[in-house]
Amino acid sequence: MKINYPALVLLLAWAAAHADASLPGGSAVNQGWNALYPERIEAVRARGDAVRGEAAFVICQGCHRVGALGRADGSYPRLAGQHASVIIKQITDVQTGRRHNPKMLPFADQHALTSQDIADIAVFLNDLPVPANNGQGPGENLKHGRLLYEKDCAVCHGFSGQGSGDKFYPKVSGQHFKYLFRESQKIRDGNRRNANPEMADVIKNYTDDDIAAVADFISRLPVRP
Amino acid sequence: MHSSILGYLSRWILSALLVLSLLLPFGVRAADAQQIAATLCAACHGPDGNSTDPAYPKIAGLDRDYLAKQLRYFASGQRRNDIMAGIVATIGEADFLPLAAYFSSQQPLPGKVRNARLAEIGKQIYEDGNTETGVPACAGCHQSNGSGNARFPRLAGQHQAYTLQQLAEYKSGRRAADRLMVSVGQRLSADEMKALAEYIAGL
Repeated sequence: MKINYPALVLLLAWAAAHADASLPGGSAVNQGWNALYPERIEAVRARGDAVRGEAAFVICQGCHRVGALGRADGSYPRLAGQHASVIIKQITDVQTGRRHNPKMLPFADQHALTSQDIADIAVFLNDLPVPANNGQGPGENLKHGRLLYEKDCAVCHGFSGQGSGDKFYPKVSGQHFKYLFRESQKIRDGNRRNANPEMADVIKNYTDDDIAAVADFISRLPVRP
Repeated sequence: MHSSILGYLSRWILSALLVLSLLLPFGVRAADAQQIAATLCAACHGPDGNSTDPAYPKIAGLDRDYLAKQLRYFASGQRRNDIMAGIVATIGEADFLPLAAYFSSQQPLPGKVRNARLAEIGKQIYEDGNTETGVPACAGCHQSNGSGNARFPRLAGQHQAYTLQQLAEYKSGRRAADRLMVSVGQRLSADEMKALAEYIAGL
């Protein structure tokens, strides 16, 4: 896989410089959601190796399962096929508490994962196949879900849910419905501190039904095998 | 002329001694490991590392580097165990790896499940973990067959009592060299530990 590392580092530097100016203070949303934090930079700069990543991923698969397919009950997300930059951001955010995740923390702290491990795991996951067997929603409100997705979400996450590695926008296609639903609720309610404040703003007036409809629509987007 | 023959002989003998002295430590090392195993370890762990007393772990077939690491932990006090601390103090650190290699190369014997229903519950946790409490599946690191590797030890066939005791030590923090397992121990209930120990014995 190819990641434009210099561009990513520049982007992170820019984000760090603008982190404090981008949001009014006191928001529950982390202001430097994609900022240049040292441990994030260290992992981004380290050249990942998918073979080493497969070995390092062993401590993750007790929860995220073999092949990083996650669980349809939404308890653990699917990581297979996710952009390397997104994986690096999320692991380092859990590691430092920017993303509050006490369940994962002991398995992501620096005792368990080095920056090199994170870079290796990120490349390994980025290249994994994404089978079309993710958990889907009830399928009752798909038209509404599509409308909202194309109006509010596609501009960042893409019309096919592919996201953008360069911009830390996660790929959402192939993800489990229940996970998408729960995390979107958290982002709307200010309970996922490392989220992009723009997304929190866009969905702030979504009802739970709106979120469910979008998550259901996303869970049915085609995935690359 | 007389002295040159003596000189030749003495040089030859010296060389031979030198070669012998270089080879000696290796032969002695392997013999040492077996002898140490027989005199210091066998009483508790069995001559081939398949202990019969459930208070002492089976160590046959565990990864060599894992076993050597545990000996170092006992020596340094990172792993607290009065019996093992006393015993490793009488062994030189240089003997840890050959000793570990000896037990690693022994054939592990299977354990015995006494409560099949309990083992069934244990299998569920071993393979799937507990998503509510954040217990990861044991199989993720230790593998489905419990065969383990250098970082994550073999569990298969272990005595129930020993597995249970170690899980309790992780939970209490007494065994804390591996922080991952401390977290896992803290998340496991007493019932889950019993079920896991039962299932692992049958692997």
